[in-house]
Amino acid sequence: MDIQVAGYGIICAIGNNASEVLCSLREERTGIGSMHYLQSSHKELPVGEVKLSDEEMKRMLGQDESTVISRTVLMGAIAVRQALEHANLDLKGKRITVISGTTVGGMDVTERHFKQMLDDDAMLPLLEKHDCGSSTREMADLAGLQDADVCTISTACSSALNAIILGSEMLQNGETDIVIAGGTEALSRFHLSGFNSLMILDKERCRPFDKTRAGLNLGEGAAFVVLTPPSISPTEGEKQEQGARGKEQEDTNCQNYPPAPCPLPLAPKESPIYIRGYGNRCDAFHQTASSEDGEGAFLAMSDALRMAGVKPQDILYINAHGTGTPNNDASESAAIRRVFGEHVPPVSSTKGFTGHTTSASGSIETVISILALQHNFIPVNLGWKEQDESCITPATRHGESVASSQLAIGEGQEGAILCNSFGFGGNDSALVIGRCPSPSACTEKSQNKVAVLADETIDDSEQLKDYREFISPGEARRMGKLMKAATITSLKALRKAGIECPDAIITATAYGMLETSEKFLIDMLENNEETLSPTLFMQSTHNTLSSAIAIRTKCHGYNVTYSQGAKSLEWALRDAHRLIKSGKAETVLVGCHDEATPSFQDLFRRLGKPIPPMLYSRSIVLCAEHEM
Amino acid sequence: MEQLINDLKLQIKDALNLEDLSMEEFDENAPLFGEDGIGLDSIDVLEIIVLLEKNYGIRLANSKEGKAIFQSVKTIAEYVQANRKK
Repeated sequence: MDIQVAGYGIICAIGNNASEVLCSLREERTGIGSMHYLQSSHKELPVGEVKLSDEEMKRMLGQDESTVISRTVLMGAIAVRQALEHANLDLKGKRITVISGTTVGGMDVTERHFKQMLDDDAMLPLLEKHDCGSSTREMADLAGLQDADVCTISTACSSALNAIILGSEMLQNGETDIVIAGGTEALSRFHLSGFNSLMILDKERCRPFDKTRAGLNLGEGAAFVVLTPPSISPTEGEKQEQGARGKEQEDTNCQNYPPAPCPLPLAPKESPIYIRGYGNRCDAFHQTASSEDGEGAFLAMSDALRMAGVKPQDILYINAHGTGTPNNDASESAAIRRVFGEHVPPVSSTKGFTGHTTSASGSIETVISILALQHNFIPVNLGWKEQDESCITPATRHGESVASSQLAIGEGQEGAILCNSFGFGGNDSALVIGRCPSPSACTEKSQNKVAVLADETIDDSEQLKDYREFISPGEARRMGKLMKAATITSLKALRKAGIECPDAIITATAYGMLETSEKFLIDMLENNEETLSPTLFMQSTHNTLSSAIAIRTKCHGYNVTYSQGAKSLEWALRDAHRLIKSGKAETVLVGCHDEATPSFQDLFRRLGKPIPPMLYSRSIVLCAEHEM
Repeated sequence: MEQLINDLKLQIKDALNLEDLSMEEFDENAPLFGEDGIGLDSIDVLEIIVLLEKNYGIRLANSKEGKAIFQSVKTIAEYVQANRKK
């Protein structure tokens, strides 16, 4: 495994580029504070906002201020541009793939203009910018990558890390030449009030792993890495030269940013960074809570270490998911203790700096981990004061010298960092990065063929009448029509294939459970963000279907959700084939599920676009066919 | 009190979509959580908190403080009677 990180870009609460972020990390300056840009009624909640208005970002990207562009798209395009400048690769004639993790997508625009869209035709085109896939396309275009292929992964808070995993897999398979992978997520009233309805937001600054921790603070931002296979990576000489140029470019760029408090040069200390290993597993426990022993997190970290070819003692630092909720931090601590035993390396959550940037957190924290590795320091765990027995003791400085927080590389140690990223529905992923590539462990390519064992479709609500064969009344009470349909087609297909629990579950959906999302949006607009239903919110994330089926089948294997409009199923099937052909899975359940509402259909009718069906759910079971 | 208990049962049945639970079966003294009772979970607690704010103007800061309140419909009714703002 020798995928190299050729460049990176980042924008979040503690800086508008990598050097500002590095500076804030080293000087221990948080970016969490009172709300300034988001127009929410929940002013009492601290947030980690990017310190730029939409208009300022549009100017940076050379866009007209009056054009309506989602903040998710704006931040993403800025980070992608930075990453491309930093990598400074010749893109001509190369196959380029942009993979982004997001859940909010264009929701910030939709929530501002939804009521207008209902009766003003002039606002209707905004509808086409709403879904995650469209926002990724728009972001790539704005970053100057009009010819690139784009893909969106939506596994809630682990989305961006799963985007990096997909990019690495595609490069290893030779499916593309250059990958730009990461995630972007803007703060929106929708998900702020949604998290609020789940009562997991702290009204004070968050304190990950602390005894008094009382929840998370939401943040926003974007980060992308440019990934290359070794053949295309610049030579050492080129890299140094480009380092110097990169710095120049950064300086010119700074005219657009607020003056950096202490612009640290990035170039001189840079050493190559490699993606060494990763794991994607499902906790298969609960839609919004993690299991007590952190099974999904344990499996993801174990897979990542095994693939990286490193021993637990080679890990110099763990960038934890560490949201600050009582449940996550205890569960993650249990999982870390299971992997590392008595010898837990320095751990910190950097969410005390950035807030929880949800779908973007995986790549924001990957870039933070890269900065830590290149600049040889351990980011502190801001906000921690009091030991909690159920939690690991995170890295803090507390008056000690800066030297003590340096990464300690012992003799014969590989020098690697582990970065955790977990999401609702138990979509748990982990990534290992290092200063050198992994020893080429498994280069043997299995050549499994792929066979279809079952293929079940429901496209009419009438077909849901006999749901009780598969769904108990207790389960049904929280299920909308799409969840019922997805459950039935999945279980029918698995039964036909003679499989109880598949090795992997891959789901494709353009809009997720639109009926519940729409209801939550309307309630939110009508009730000024108060008294909202947590059940509706937790079902609005696109990965709810995939994780619900994992919970139902007790499947702890690979679990991912693609949300790339009409191409979602194609991406899902490609992934399933990749897993089976490489021998990573014997059986894969692939689902494609989408629904509409009468008002949603009406919007499309007025727009003169093909009208999405009220209900469509298809489940396919694929398996490896071994050659005799 | 009788009326309040009845109202709460209806509101809870509706908010949590407990179609299969008839009003006769819905015992106000039965534990709301666990196998021996109605079988609700932590998400249901959050829904009941929303319902109390909507209908009675009662605001609970976190779901933990509700532990004693959410034992049964009867205990909820007693709490509502003592704390309702509307």
